[in-house]
Amino acid sequence: MEEMIVKKRGFAFYLSIYKKILIQDLKSKMSYRADFIISTFGMIMTNLSGFVTFMILFHNFPSINGWDYHHMLFLYGFSLIALTPVQCFFDNNWNLRFMVRSGDFIKYCFRPINVFFYFISEVFDVKGIGQFVFGIATFVYAWAHIGIPVTVLTIAQAVVFLITASLFMIALMNFSAATCFWIINSGYVMVIMFRFKDFAKYPASIFNSIFRFIFTFIIPIAFIAYYPSLVFVTPDDVPLISWLSPFIGVVFFWLSYKFWMYGVRKYDFTGS
Amino acid sequence: MKSLRRLTALTKAGVVESLQFRLGTFVTLFANLIYLALVYFLWKAIYASSGTDVVNGMTFYDTMIYLILATAIFNFLEMFIVWDMSRAIQSGEIIMHLLKPMRYRKYMFWSYSGSLVMSFILTFIPTFLVVVIVTKGAVPVGWNLLAFVLSLLLALVINYNIEMLVAPICLYTESTWGINIVKETIVLLLSGASIPLAFFPETFRKIVEFLPFRAVYDIPLTVLLKKNGTDSFDGLINAIVIQLIWCVVLTICGNLFWNHAVKKITVNGG
Repeated sequence: MEEMIVKKRGFAFYLSIYKKILIQDLKSKMSYRADFIISTFGMIMTNLSGFVTFMILFHNFPSINGWDYHHMLFLYGFSLIALTPVQCFFDNNWNLRFMVRSGDFIKYCFRPINVFFYFISEVFDVKGIGQFVFGIATFVYAWAHIGIPVTVLTIAQAVVFLITASLFMIALMNFSAATCFWIINSGYVMVIMFRFKDFAKYPASIFNSIFRFIFTFIIPIAFIAYYPSLVFVTPDDVPLISWLSPFIGVVFFWLSYKFWMYGVRKYDFTGS
Repeated sequence: MKSLRRLTALTKAGVVESLQFRLGTFVTLFANLIYLALVYFLWKAIYASSGTDVVNGMTFYDTMIYLILATAIFNFLEMFIVWDMSRAIQSGEIIMHLLKPMRYRKYMFWSYSGSLVMSFILTFIPTFLVVVIVTKGAVPVGWNLLAFVLSLLLALVINYNIEMLVAPICLYTESTWGINIVKETIVLLLSGASIPLAFFPETFRKIVEFLPFRAVYDIPLTVLLKKNGTDSFDGLINAIVIQLIWCVVLTICGNLFWNHAVKKITVNGG
């Protein structure tokens, strides 16, 4: 018998695999052109509707809790960008419960690559790109109007904080998707978490201490936009938690990955 | 009499089906409460920053009642017809519905009625009572409650017709997610469910007045809160008549579209 050599796969290897799977996925999506167009239109509509709601709010109220129009817009743009990766790259989590229930999930366990990576890479959601463009436009507009200096440092900070902020929502969705390994049809957990993200675009300071605690330490949606934004909006008075948010994001994501993988191992044991 | 029994049999089946114990129902109920708390904090902060108590004729309590009950109506009216119909089309099951000795649109309405009754009793009424108690008399109690129930019934019919007007699009394209999200976004924004219509800028509101969506959320809620002239008899009749007109118009449109679309059905095997 031939001996299998299990080698630790590197980043470049996974990147090349991802590219191949991505191209296949896009090809199959393109064959349903009407669906692609309607879905993209739908995504633009939801973003537009959120924006219109925002504008109507500020048409009536000049500021919220000391945050004026442009600062709120900054927060809004920040949250839109930070919520793009979960939409684009991690959308397959929504299918996890069906796969697990029907038993189709087993196919992911038979490949000599990371199960989480293989499962997640299977779907790339193009619709998220519209949201990204929308977010960038809002973000840049608000950035210019607040008068945040454009230096190498601030831009580098923006990139780092946006990427790490996106990890929070990804991790939340990983956690809630993985509940389906224990609870049958746990889709509602994901739906609930997905609804909470609507509050990411508001300053967490509007909540009372109980909810601020929940949104910081239990369901950390305050990290999606509020805490990292403080670094740019109030540069003279940045709380420690804002500086720590990138590290917390990485740890939180790592924990969600471990939880997800733990679910996979448990699923193997039930053996369906 | 016989036909009524036939219809209530469908209602009963729906009631029994939704009475099954589901963990999800309780978790969702709990999450809804948290969500409502968040809406409360948000609007409290908004009103605290505005400096005045009344904005566009709406007090903080008015806005809260409006938004909370809009969410309750949303949960009550949510029917998933677009999803169900698209699934029925893709699996070919729709043929079984079409063969039944009852018009399809009628059949669908009555088979949903059971779960609507249950969600009204289990989610809408408790939410309503909590709102009445928590806001300490901000909800006017009187004849308007009766008018509200009537208005809500009409809203239900209008919402059903909007759903049935959108769902047959699935016969032309398989883009269920896309169609559903477009419908939901338009209805929620233009009906006042995400932000009360009273806050809309003047011209925007004028346009929205001429669309059917406000008849689903805004009209029942303004009738309940006695806003917008509905505290007088004339104003109330006016609001109800608008809903009635939309009921008729949308039913006719829905029928015409369905009769056209049903010819498109192609079922592969089954």
